[in-house]
This record gives sequence, structure tokens and C-alpha cells, in this order.
Amino acid sequence: MELIFQSLINGLIQGGFFALFAVGLVLIFGVMGVVNFAHGELVMVGAYTVWLLHAQHGLSYFFAIGVAVVLVTLIGLFMERFLFRPTQNDPLAGLICSIGMLFILQVVATLVGGEGPSKQVPPPFHGTWVLFEYLRIPYQRIFSLLISFFALSTLWYFLTRSKLGWALRAVSLDKEASALQGININRISMIAIGIGASLAGLAGALMAPLTNINPHMGHNVIITAFIVTIVGGVGSLSGAVLAAFLYALFHTFVTVYFGGTIATICGLVLMVVVLIVKPTGIMGTRISE
Amino acid sequence: MKITRRKLIRAAAAGTAMTGTLGLPTALFAGQKTVKLGMNIPMTGDYAPWGLPGLYGCQIVANDLNAAGGVKIGGDNYKIEIVAYDHAYDTEKAVQGYKKLVLEDRVKMVMMLGGSTVASVLPWARRKKMLTTTLLPSDITPKSDYLIATCESHPLYNVTGVEWLAENHPEAKTAVIVTNNDAEYGLQSAATYKAAFEVAGIKVVDVNLHGFDITDFAPIVSSVLAKKPDIFCMATSFYVTPLMEQLYHQGFKGKIISCTLDYYNEIIAKTSKDFVNGTIFQFPDFDDPALNQAGVSFPNPADFDAKFRKAHPTDWSAVSWEYPAILLNWLEGAKAAGSVEPTAVLSALKSNKNPNFVFGEGEWWGKDLWGQDNALVGRWPVVVVEDGKARIQEYRSVSSWLDRNKAVLIRHMKDLGLRTV
Repeated sequence: MELIFQSLINGLIQGGFFALFAVGLVLIFGVMGVVNFAHGELVMVGAYTVWLLHAQHGLSYFFAIGVAVVLVTLIGLFMERFLFRPTQNDPLAGLICSIGMLFILQVVATLVGGEGPSKQVPPPFHGTWVLFEYLRIPYQRIFSLLISFFALSTLWYFLTRSKLGWALRAVSLDKEASALQGININRISMIAIGIGASLAGLAGALMAPLTNINPHMGHNVIITAFIVTIVGGVGSLSGAVLAAFLYALFHTFVTVYFGGTIATICGLVLMVVVLIVKPTGIMGTRISE
Repeated sequence: MKITRRKLIRAAAAGTAMTGTLGLPTALFAGQKTVKLGMNIPMTGDYAPWGLPGLYGCQIVANDLNAAGGVKIGGDNYKIEIVAYDHAYDTEKAVQGYKKLVLEDRVKMVMMLGGSTVASVLPWARRKKMLTTTLLPSDITPKSDYLIATCESHPLYNVTGVEWLAENHPEAKTAVIVTNNDAEYGLQSAATYKAAFEVAGIKVVDVNLHGFDITDFAPIVSSVLAKKPDIFCMATSFYVTPLMEQLYHQGFKGKIISCTLDYYNEIIAKTSKDFVNGTIFQFPDFDDPALNQAGVSFPNPADFDAKFRKAHPTDWSAVSWEYPAILLNWLEGAKAAGSVEPTAVLSALKSNKNPNFVFGEGEWWGKDLWGQDNALVGRWPVVVVEDGKARIQEYRSVSSWLDRNKAVLIRHMKDLGLRTV
């Protein structure tokens, strides 16, 4: 029983990270129609920024998180303006540009951090919260979960209660109709990638003290993000959030009871099953031509 | 300005004098030859921590030898030059690098990390009769005549840590093993630990294998700690820090044993000194006083440690001294052979039944497991963190453990589907 509750908590915390970076990917795909392969590298840049500012230069962790979010947002805006906008009529070109960006960001990270061992960030929140004498939750993970929850709630509020949010959802449903209603598609695309990138930067910054940081860490992130996106329903934000938590719990429990290798295989099998049985994912909808 | 013949002669004379002066140091080294030693290692990518620090170490040793006037081999005086190639742990690049080092740079030995990159160059080593070294003796095959492992015998040395743990903490009776599921590093290590625990009378209650795509170790640690082990064993080198962090947060109070504990100061920063104290592993810092004992053949280890950390403050790892130790082994072989030619050096090294091993006298081993006695094994240090600092507790013999228990080891290797003869 102890193990079940501990795994439940581990899964929820993991789900918070998954949701942060998967939602960004879904947002960018929904609005711009681009599969951003460099999304994992945006997470990596967030983590590297915290390593550089906090672990290397001793600046405040919160300041480092802020800089990470701003920096990754700027990179996202750059990608929209100079890579995705010029190629907006050719989804394949956008995808290839994102792959190119992926390699560029990896090389830049190597130049900044140097080769050698993975980078480590000492956790700003030491210690562990012990519940009922057997459930153990590190303060650092509680902090990360709370921030993830706050960021996702803010995004939900923005998308459902603000005019810009409505416009963003409208563009993701139908670009042409939105343009006819006077919505500036380019501006909305900028906002979409800005939000998506900032969430990726935030995810990286929050993960930094909890993981090995290296230029290739985005690889695992993007695979997870794709699984979550497909399971949740491509283009569905609420589906992505739901799938992030469901997938994290699934992965955690399979890891605990059957091992990490089986969990990896099961995650990919789950994605394939969803694609065959319900290609629209849990909350995606089929759009007829 | 008008150039007269007199001015021209004066300038020419001055030039000749200057050239002569600048040429003095060259004249001092007149007659000195250069021998090139190759390193075909990962210097970028995930495996860089097991390549780059080794290059730094070799450069320090080579610089020291050269500064002392070079090395005398067969009546000639040689300057040592290290030529490195970065294969980024990619087999195609490894072959490319090997060809470049052997055919273009004309190196006399190629040092490598091991695994698939070594397997990919073995046909070339055989064809070119090129002395090649690995840190993974499991790369040795019945046909790999030119491949030797003269320093690290990964993961055979792990038996010494388990033996020490069993003797010094007899209350620890159960263990869990966590490692990555690759055949080159993780499974070899898991099989060795399983054999060592069996011999020591410690029951292994779980072996948890995972892939390289793990981003969160909390579920793995929760899963194995649910088995209530007395010992947590990390047979991996890749994820020691996140595993240690999880052990700390999940309140593990038992003994921890690991192949390596690279960058343990970072682990202390992420957990606490008290938590890391008592962790057993196998790779000493070289400022350890126990390295000044008789038998240790690495010259002035403390000086090497200081030079390395001054030049590369954050890069010290297990391989920092291992490649230099291989270089020194080569030097011993070359001196014995009176030649730098690969076949002569190999022959001289192999004909010595008990050559100098980094931690003392060694012996050639491996025929029973891999088909050739091409791995040099001897005693190996058991290292424990004490007051936040790695300290050698004692040296234990790998070879005598193998003499007594090789059948157990081979059985566990086979159980995990690993290649044996």
C-alpha cells in the first residue's frame, strides 16, 4: 500500500513536468501546424540557463527561472519569425527547420557548458516532507508541482477567459475563418509559440535540479511529449494535460511493478494502440474536409 | 631607403645569428625521435566523461616525461606525442578515427574506451597488427590478438568492494542491483555484482534494469526500496547522481555500493555529506595517501592529481588516471622490447608473466571468460567516502577472487545472456 501511494505521488509530480512541455508542443502545432522537433531543446535551454546562472554563478534560483523563461520565449519568437513564418505554407519545411534548430541549440549548449559530465544543479529546496511516516516528497518536487499547476491554471484562464485566448483557440480550429473575423494570424502565432516556448523553458528550469543536464536531454523529452500529444489528441490542450498525468502515472506504475525497460516499451505500445484504436486520441476530434 | 650591398650583408649576418640562437633548443634535442600514441575516444556526447579526462591525464604524463628529456627506448631518446581522435561513441567514426591514427598519424598504440567502438575496429587492429587497448576486457575475443586491457578490468574489480562490504558489515544480508540494460556496461556489471554477492553470502532480492531514456528515478528507487534491502548497489556509472538523490529523499539508511562515484562533491551538494559518507566504490582520488604504498606503480600520484585538478578543476573522473596508467604500461613494454613497434611492445608485455599493474604486480587473465589472457588483473582499491572525501580502505586481489570463483562469475554472465567462451 505504501508503494502504491508513493508511486501515485511520484506519478503526479512527473505528470506536472510532462504537461508543461506537452501543452507547449500542442499549442504550437494547433496554431501554426508545425511539429516543433526542437521543443525538447527548448526544455534543455531552460535547464542550462538555471545551471549557468544558479549553479555556476550563484545567482538566485528564482531569478534564474525567470531568465530561463524569458530566454526560451525569445528563442521561440525568433523561431516563429525567421523559421516558421517564412515556411508557413509548407509544413515539411517548418519541420526540417525545427530539426536544424535542434542541432544548433545542442551545439550552443555544448559551447556554453563544455563537454564532459552532465551538469548538476544543487536543489534550492533541501529536505523531504514525510507524510504518515512513509510517504516521502522532496520539497524541490513539491515546489515544481505547485509551479506547474499554477502555470497550467494561468494558461487555462488565459485561453478561456481572455479575448486573446479565444482568438488563439479560434486560429487553432480554423485559420481562414479566424482571419476573416479580423484576427491577425501572425500575431496569434507569435503568442502561441511564445507561450509554448515559455512553458518549455519553465519545465526545463524546474527539472534542472532533479535531472542530469546535458545537450542531448531534449531527446527523451520530445519522445515523451509526442506520446502525450498523441494519446491526448493532437491539437487538444485539455487532452494533453489529461494524457500527461495519465501517461506519467502509467509509466510510473509499470516502472515500479515491471521495471524501467518494460515501462519504456509499454509507453510506445500505448501510443501505437491509441493510433490504431482511436487515432484522434482521448480528447481529439476528427475534422472532416 | 636605399639598400646597399653592405647593409644586405649585415642584415644577412644578423639574421643568421638570430636563426642560430633560436635554433639552440632544437640543437639540444638533436637526435630525439617522436613516438606518437593514439587515443580514439569519445570527447563529445554522452560518453565524453569517459574519454576527455583521460586525454587530459595523458597530456600531463606526456608533458612530464618530455620535460624530463623524453624516454629512452632501445638506445633512442623519444619524445611522446599524444594524438587524439573524437569518435563521440559512434562506431563509424571509431573506424574512421582508427584508420586516421594508424595510417596517417602512424601511431604505435591506440587507446580506446571499449564496447561497440572497439568491436568495430578489431578487424583493423588484426590487419594492421596494431596494439590497441580497452577499458572493457569483455571486448576481448579469441581472435582479438592485438587487444589488451592493462588497467581497468571493468567490471571485475567490483568483487573487491563486495568482499570488503561483507567482511566489514556482516549485518547487511540482502541487496538490490540497479543498472542500465546495455550489454557493454550495465549487464556485465550486474552479472559481476550478482556473482560477488552470491560468493559473499548476500542475497540479491531484486535486479532492476532500465534503459537510457529514464528522466525520473523516483519510481525505480521506490520499487527497489519496497524490497527492504540492506544494500543498494549501483552497477551503472551513468545515473549515479540522480539515483543517490532519490535514495536520500526516500530515506534509505542501508549501505550503498557503486562501481564509480564520479563527481561525488556534486552528489554531496545535492544530498548531504552525512548521507554520502560510507558509500563504497572503486576509484580513488590520486591525492590519497594509500597510493604512496610500495607496489603502486603510478609515479607520484599526488603530483598528478594536483596538476590535473589545477588544469581541469571540474573534470576529474575515473578515467583521468586510467589512460595515463595504460600509457605507462606501454612505456614499460617498449623499454623491455627496446622498440616502439606495436608487435614488439605487445610481445614484451605478454611475455612478462607478472608485469607492473597500476596498483601493483598483475597477471594476465581472461582465457576462461573471453578466450584470451589479455586482461591484466591484480589488486584493486576499495574506496569509501569518509567525511566527504574518497579514501582507500584497502587493496584486495581481483585475481585471487577469480581463481576461487570464476565458475560463479561465468554462470551469472551466461544467465544474463552475455558472451563467454
